[in-house]
Amino acid sequence: MSNILRWWSGIFIAFAALWAAHWVLPLPFMNEVVVFSIYTIGCNFLLGRVGFISFGQPAYLAVGAYGTAFYLYYFGTDPYLGMLIGVLAGMVFAMVVGLLFVRLRSDYFALVNLALAVIIFYMLQKVLAEITRGDNGLWFLTNIASSGPFNLTRPIQFFTFAVLMAALVWALYKYLDDTLFGACCLATKVNETKLEFIGYDNFKIRWLAFVMANTTTAFAGTLYAIYLGFVSPEMTSPARTADPVVVTILGGVGSLWGPLVGTLAYTGLRDVASKFIGNWELFVGLILVFIMMTNSVGLYGTLEAWARRLFQKNAAQENKA
Amino acid sequence: MSSQLLVSGVIFGLSLASIYFLISIGLSLCFGLMRIISLDQLLYYTVGAYLAYSVSVATGNLWLGIGAGVIVAAVLALLIERVVFRRIYERELTFSMITSFGLLLGGIGAVKGIWGVVPRPVRMPFDDQINLFGTDIPVYRLLVIAVAVLVYIGIWAFLNRTIIGKAIRAGIEDMEHVEGLGINAARLFTITFVLAGALSALAGGMYAPLIMVDPHMGLEVLAFVFMVVIIGGLGSIKGTLYSSLLVGQVVSIGSLIYAPLAIMAPFAMMMLILLVRPTGLFGSALAK
Repeated sequence: MSNILRWWSGIFIAFAALWAAHWVLPLPFMNEVVVFSIYTIGCNFLLGRVGFISFGQPAYLAVGAYGTAFYLYYFGTDPYLGMLIGVLAGMVFAMVVGLLFVRLRSDYFALVNLALAVIIFYMLQKVLAEITRGDNGLWFLTNIASSGPFNLTRPIQFFTFAVLMAALVWALYKYLDDTLFGACCLATKVNETKLEFIGYDNFKIRWLAFVMANTTTAFAGTLYAIYLGFVSPEMTSPARTADPVVVTILGGVGSLWGPLVGTLAYTGLRDVASKFIGNWELFVGLILVFIMMTNSVGLYGTLEAWARRLFQKNAAQENKA
Repeated sequence: MSSQLLVSGVIFGLSLASIYFLISIGLSLCFGLMRIISLDQLLYYTVGAYLAYSVSVATGNLWLGIGAGVIVAAVLALLIERVVFRRIYERELTFSMITSFGLLLGGIGAVKGIWGVVPRPVRMPFDDQINLFGTDIPVYRLLVIAVAVLVYIGIWAFLNRTIIGKAIRAGIEDMEHVEGLGINAARLFTITFVLAGALSALAGGMYAPLIMVDPHMGLEVLAFVFMVVIIGGLGSIKGTLYSSLLVGQVVSIGSLIYAPLAIMAPFAMMMLILLVRPTGLFGSALAK
């Protein structure tokens, strides 16, 4: 029992703190942070655990968001059913695409994924314009029913729901790290030949990891759709494909808490910076190049190292005393 | 489909192929020799187009503008190579990809800062038409094709007839051996990178009168350039030529049949080719 408690305590404390932060910080900002961090953790898992760099995350985000949007715009009103549809759409899409993609070498994977995101963007903007309404997007805020355990049309209740969901997603990824599957993912990144020699199928592991990560991304997409009550092709535009990768690297690749810390910093920076400089792309580009050049372990890695040094110093002093 | 439409479609496809070829040859060479994916080629393409715009507005001469674009992009590429890429050649491929994407985004931001976000038209130097197989074809498009052919011949001669070119080809096969022969690898890398940047800028400048110049123009061709590079196989010059011809025609003829096909058909083609050959048509089965 105490083991289970200890296992959960980190997640519980972190997300309780995140939830409490809405008393201090503006609610729209916090909502953005929570949803964006779920968006990023999929990319973080792919990059840090499986060794796939994916510039195509917005494609899966858009599939999830549009899955939900189509249901809420054309068919029904239940936001929970809409979310389920969005997630399932994202999962099926990732399953099919994954069959083709995960066989590729990492360089081809990255290029093909980015191409996919651009294709999805043009599809939503032009090819399917009759049902997606092109750049105008779909507006369905008034269609969302206010029933259910959480009234998702109200920002504060949505926030509570999103934090709960994020905690579950984090628990899932923390659990994955402890499982055989998680170990296999890491092994397929580090030494695939050896893994195959032991008798595991690289393709299956990668495919499963790919589907998992991108289903999470699609889930973030459905949350965006419900929260904003609006979807537009802008979310997968080529200029934004780097967002999750930037945040992943900013936070610290492969660490469990990296995406959350990275998102907080990135969203905060963006909000502050956009007040002073109107030129967002220049800013993101410079951050990205700077982090890559300084070979940093990301914000979370830096924080962790600081904390560890601090604790060790304290411990050493106590020992002396 | 009438034959007139077909002829103009093929010429249109060839001119598209020329532009794709000029950009992707740089990407492909950089990958082959330095093992980097240099997405910032699309930045040099944008810069080339914008300088063609600015200089041609100021002096009224497009050729001067294209020349200025090529020179400025080459200097920019030299700077970026020295400051950024030199430090990351030894790193994994993902590293160069992320860094160069950062450079591309930052560069687009800078372009927006300098020239603004409004799309700019570039005047055609001449709008003569020539009659080919009973169809009127703009001479400028033929000129674009001619330039690409000349560049291909030039690159071929450079790689096969000069000592530096031969060193580059050898480097694509095995860099360590080339270094072992006492050839300065760093200089070889710089030459290749600057050459790639200059060619991308040439593509941008040549293409500028046919489209509107806007800050996101690099991102718009990005998907097509990727498809060319992937279908042809990273690092293969012959593959890049064939696949740019293929993609150009598929885009052009596809859009004649049914407009959305212009985007979907090359993508579907790429997926099919990758199913059969995961490293593209002419890609070598090199280690990661």
